[in-house]
Amino acid sequence: MSNRVAIIASNGNLFDAYKVFNIATAAAASDKEVGVFFTFEGLNLIHKQGMHTLPMPEGKESMAEGFAKANVPSIPELVDMAQELGVKFIACQMTMDVMGLTKEDFVDGIEVGGAVTFLEFAKDAAPALTF
Amino acid sequence: MISNYVLDAKGLSCPMPIVRTKKTIDTLRSGEVLEVHVTDKGALMDLPAWAKACGHTILEQSEIDGVIKFFIQKV
Repeated sequence: MSNRVAIIASNGNLFDAYKVFNIATAAAASDKEVGVFFTFEGLNLIHKQGMHTLPMPEGKESMAEGFAKANVPSIPELVDMAQELGVKFIACQMTMDVMGLTKEDFVDGIEVGGAVTFLEFAKDAAPALTF
Repeated sequence: MISNYVLDAKGLSCPMPIVRTKKTIDTLRSGEVLEVHVTDKGALMDLPAWAKACGHTILEQSEIDGVIKFFIQKV
């Protein structure tokens, strides 16, 4: 049985962030080796400033109250937690070039790579997930 | 049931009860028992699934007034 979980994060709103980091931290806490490839809008999720102000999906703004009431951890907290548990973050070089971003724009401890870097990690993964 | 350590994870929502349980059990020795208190209903299914994935044993589980208690023996 594979002990790897590979995740592609390609969207950048608050819901996307929770989907990615909840699965990633839960998998890492279950002794899985976890890698997340952040590409296109998904880069927002690990952007030093961006991750603090991720937007709600359009029309869902009223759910902010629900998030507060359910005592859900913040995204920066989940990012810290994921890294502490050993989740590997890979930022997509091509998207960074297109958006004019450098490694310093993101949280510490990430890797920057291309599609093949991720594919090499993901080839033995089960499950592989896309958000 | 006697436990070696009690983790209060009440009020936390997914995935924090699992993350906190994992971090706490890492500090225990093999065979020791961790008692976890949670209020997240998702943990009813999640903690046993997590224990199974990691090889730990749930010795006992109960629910009183919305507080779910697990006794987990470390593998």
